[in-house]
Amino acid sequence: MSPTSKRPSSPEHSSFTPIFFLLIAVRLWISFTDVSEILKNDQQLSSPLTSFSQLKEGIFLFNHDIDPYSGGSFRHSPLLLSFFATVLPSSRRLASALWTASDAVGAWALVEIWRARQNLRRSSRDLLVAASYLLNPYLFLPSLALSTSSLENTALLLSIMFACNGKASASLFLLSSVIHLSFSSGVMLLPILLLLITDPHSHIASPKPLSTPLKKAYPLLGEFLFYMGILTLISTFVAGSWSWIPQTWGATLTLPDLAPNTGLWWYFFTEMFDHFRPFFLMVFTVHLFIYVVPVCLKFQHDALYAVFIMLGILGTFKPYTTLSDPGLFLTVFAIFPEIYPYMRYPIVTVLLHLHASLLMPLFHHLWLSQGTGNANFFYASTLVFACANGAALVDCIWPGLRIAIGPHVEGYSIVQE
Amino acid sequence: MATLLDVLNSDDGLLNVGRTALSMAPNTSKSLLSLKTLQDGKVASKFTFTTLLKDAAPRDPSTLDSQDESQHYTLFPLALGQILRQYAVTEMHLALNAGNWNYDRWGYPEEQGVGTGAELWAWMGDGAAITVDERWKGLRNALAGLFCASLGSLDELRTTSPAQTFIPEGTLPDWGVPHTVRHASLPSEHVCTENLTPFLKLLPCKSLSGIASLLNPHRLFDADWHGMGVHVLWREGEGVEMRLTFQSVSDPLRHDAAKKQDWSLQSLFDRTIHRSCPVAHSSEIVVALPKNAFYSIKPEPPVIDRSSAHFDVNIHQKPLDVILTWPEPFSYPLDYQSESTNFSVKRTLRGPSQAHGQLSLVITNHRPYTIHTLYLETMPWLLQFYLHTLEARVDGVLRADIISNLTYIPSVPHSRPTTFQALLSLPPSSTVEITMDVTKAFLRYTEHPPDAQRGWDLPPAIFTPVEFAKNGTSFSVKEGRLYTSTLLVDLATPDFSMPYNVIIFTCSVIAYIFGSIFNLLTRRFVIVHIEPTKS
Repeated sequence: MSPTSKRPSSPEHSSFTPIFFLLIAVRLWISFTDVSEILKNDQQLSSPLTSFSQLKEGIFLFNHDIDPYSGGSFRHSPLLLSFFATVLPSSRRLASALWTASDAVGAWALVEIWRARQNLRRSSRDLLVAASYLLNPYLFLPSLALSTSSLENTALLLSIMFACNGKASASLFLLSSVIHLSFSSGVMLLPILLLLITDPHSHIASPKPLSTPLKKAYPLLGEFLFYMGILTLISTFVAGSWSWIPQTWGATLTLPDLAPNTGLWWYFFTEMFDHFRPFFLMVFTVHLFIYVVPVCLKFQHDALYAVFIMLGILGTFKPYTTLSDPGLFLTVFAIFPEIYPYMRYPIVTVLLHLHASLLMPLFHHLWLSQGTGNANFFYASTLVFACANGAALVDCIWPGLRIAIGPHVEGYSIVQE
Repeated sequence: MATLLDVLNSDDGLLNVGRTALSMAPNTSKSLLSLKTLQDGKVASKFTFTTLLKDAAPRDPSTLDSQDESQHYTLFPLALGQILRQYAVTEMHLALNAGNWNYDRWGYPEEQGVGTGAELWAWMGDGAAITVDERWKGLRNALAGLFCASLGSLDELRTTSPAQTFIPEGTLPDWGVPHTVRHASLPSEHVCTENLTPFLKLLPCKSLSGIASLLNPHRLFDADWHGMGVHVLWREGEGVEMRLTFQSVSDPLRHDAAKKQDWSLQSLFDRTIHRSCPVAHSSEIVVALPKNAFYSIKPEPPVIDRSSAHFDVNIHQKPLDVILTWPEPFSYPLDYQSESTNFSVKRTLRGPSQAHGQLSLVITNHRPYTIHTLYLETMPWLLQFYLHTLEARVDGVLRADIISNLTYIPSVPHSRPTTFQALLSLPPSSTVEITMDVTKAFLRYTEHPPDAQRGWDLPPAIFTPVEFAKNGTSFSVKEGRLYTSTLLVDLATPDFSMPYNVIIFTCSVIAYIFGSIFNLLTRRFVIVHIEPTKS
C-alpha cells in the first residue's frame, strides 16, 4: 500500500514506537479540546446503548440510590456502571484520557494480531496497521464523543489478540465481557472459538477441511459459559436485581429506543406496522446470527478471516450501530494485504463509503437541527451506508475465496458454478 | 326532581314545607359566587356549588366484590355518586381549564387547580381485589363519558403518583389499608361548552335558577381564562362533600369604549338572577370591594365585612344584578405588585435540535425571606431528563445546596412518565435559574397524533410551598399550589406516507447483501478456459 510497507529496512522498525506515541499524543490533545463536547450528543457516533451522557446519568442515579435500571433511558451494562461508579471519577478529562488509552490499547492489539498472523515479532507494516486504527475517522470520532463502543472495540480486539496468541482464558473472558457490553457481539463466539483451536496464520490461499477436531472447542465453550455466568452474577450483584437484563440485552432484541443511527434498524421499526413489529424483530435478530455458521464453515481453514467477516456482518446489521462498528471492520482490512490484488470492486466500495460518510452527517443535521430536511434524507444515506458496508463485505469474501485459485492467467476466466 | 322543583317554585306555602323537609334530608346544598376585580382591570369570578351528603362515607375497596349498600341521594348527583362507589374512590379532583393563569397579575386563584388543560387526581384505598390502577382506569373512562372530555387519554403514559404534592383535602378513612394517589394531566385538552352541559346537570337546580342561572356558556367561554372543577372529598364527622366550581377571568375593558372597568352581572354573564334556587340552603354573592379607589356598588349590599359585600340571593329582591362602577377611566398599572404571589416561575424548553434540548426554569422570589417549595415535574416519556446535568444558579452563581430531597422515578419508553420532585430553597429576593439537559424521544409512526408537526403539549410543572416543622427536618405542604405554563415540544417526525416504502427499501438492501454473501459462500469457483476468438 504505502511506500513504507515496501521497504523492509531496519530504521522503519525502530521508528514504530515514537510515531505510535506521537499519534496517541495528537489524539489526546484533540480529545482535550471542546470537540468532544460538541460531538457528545451526535447520534451517529454514540447510540443510546453507548452514549457517555447516558452512562453519566446512570452513574448519577446509582450514586443517589435510584436504581438506574428501573427506568428506560440507561442501557449500559452494570459492568461499566460499577467500573465508572467506583474506579473512575466521572471527570471529562480523565474520561478523554481513558478513551484515548483504550484506543491506544486497541491499536496495539491490532498490531499484535497482525504480527501473530505473520508470525513475526515486528514488521515494517506495524506502523501502517496502528495508523489505520488510530487515524480511521470512523473510530476516532466515536472515541472523541466518548462512546463506549470504543471500549467494546478495544475489548474485542484484545480478545482476538489473545485468541491469536493462544491465551484461551483471557480471550474468552474478554469476549464474554464484550458480549455483556453489547449483546450482538455474540456472533463472534464461534469464529473466536475456531481461532482458539486453530492458528491465526494466513491459510487463506490454501483451503482445506478443519484439521483439529471440533471436540477441542467444547471445554473452551464451557469456560466461556462459566465466565458469562460469573459476569452475569456480578452484574446482578451490582444492579441489585435482574432488572438490568431486559434493560441492556433486552434493548438489542426489542429496540425500545428508536433514535436514529447509522444502522438499518431504527427507521424500519419506526415505520413498522405495530402488529408486525415482533415478527420483524425476530427476523432481524435471527438474520444477524444466520451468517455465523456458513462463514465459519467456508473459512474453516483461516479462522481469523472468519472473525474479520463477522466484524463486517456486525457493523452492517447489528441494532444500535455507531460509526465505530463498521469502522473496526474497515480498519481490520489493513491486516489482510494478501487479498488486495483480488478485490472485486474496490473503487465502487470506496466511493459508496465516501458518499455515505459525507451525506450522513449533512442529512442528520438538516433533519434534526436545521429542520429543512426530513427523515427520508437521512434514512436514504444510511441505506447507502449499508450498501457500502455490504459492498465491503463482498469485497472481502470474494477475494478470500478467489485467492485460492491464484493470479489471473491470460485465456482463463474465474466464474462461479 | 324537576317536578318537585316546579311544585316548590309555584307556591310559597309549599316552598316552606319543602324547606322544612329538606333540612331533615341527608343532603345540603350551598352555592356561592365570588367576584373580584384584579389589578389589570379584569374580573375574576368563581362559582362554587357545594353539596354535602351527610354522614355518608366513601366505599371501602374491600367491599368491591360484594353488593354495594344502597345510597340515598336527593341533591347529590346520582351519576357522579355511582362512579365514585363503583371504583371506591375516596377523594377525587377534576379540573378542566383553558388558558394560562397569570399569577403575577391575578394573584393566587381561589381554586388551586388552574393548570392548563385537564387534570385529574384521586385518592383510593389499596388492598382490593381490583387494583388501584384498574379502578383509576375505570374512573377516568367513566368521567370521560360523564363530562364528554378526552379523559380516557389520561392513561399510563401520563399517570403518576406524587403523594407529597397532592395531599388529600379531606380525610382518608382508616380501613387498615394504605391510600394511594393517582394523578394525570393532559394539557392539550380544553374545556368547552360540551363539558359545561353535563356539569350543569350535576347542579340541584341545573342552570334554571339561583346563581347557576348566570352560567351562560356564551360568556363563560368567551372569557380570557376559564375553568371548571369537580371535587369530591370526605370530611370525617360530616360526610361526603362534592364541590363543583367554575372560575373565569373576564375583561370588562375589552368591549368598553370609555375604557372603564365597570362591570355588572348583566355585562359579565349577559344574565341576571330572576329566581332563587329553592333547594339551596344558602346562596350568596360575595363581591370583593376595591381598595384605595372610588367606586359605587348597586344595589346597596345588606352585609359588608372586611372589604367584601355579601348578597343573599335567597332573600334578596329579584331580579338581582350587582353593578360596580368607577368614576374614572381605568389606567393600567406600570408594574404589578406581587402582593399575593410569593414567587413567580418561568419555564422554557431551549435548543433548536429535535434530538436534545435544555429545560430551564427561572424562579424569582419576591419576598425578603427564604421560601421553601416543592418542585414537581410529571413529564411524559417524550422528554427524558439528564439528572446529572441539573444545575441551580442563584443570581448567576452556581449553588448546589438549594436543591434537596430529590425524588425521581425515571420514565419507561412507550409507557410510564417521569416523576421528578425536589425541594427548593429560594433565597430571599433573588432569582434562581435551574437548568437540566433533556433528550427528546423518537416515536413510532403510529404513536404520533394526526397533527404531528404541531408538537406535543407537555404538562405544567407544579410548585407547592412547604413549611418546615420546628425541628427543621420534616415539612408540611401549605396552600398555594402554583402551575407553570405548559410547554410545546417539537419531536422529530418520520415520513408518514411511506411505511411500505421503508419496509421494501430496507428489506431490499438486506436481501441484496444477504444474496451477494450467500451467493459467494455457496457457489464454487471454477476456472473456465476461454478460446481465443479468431478474428
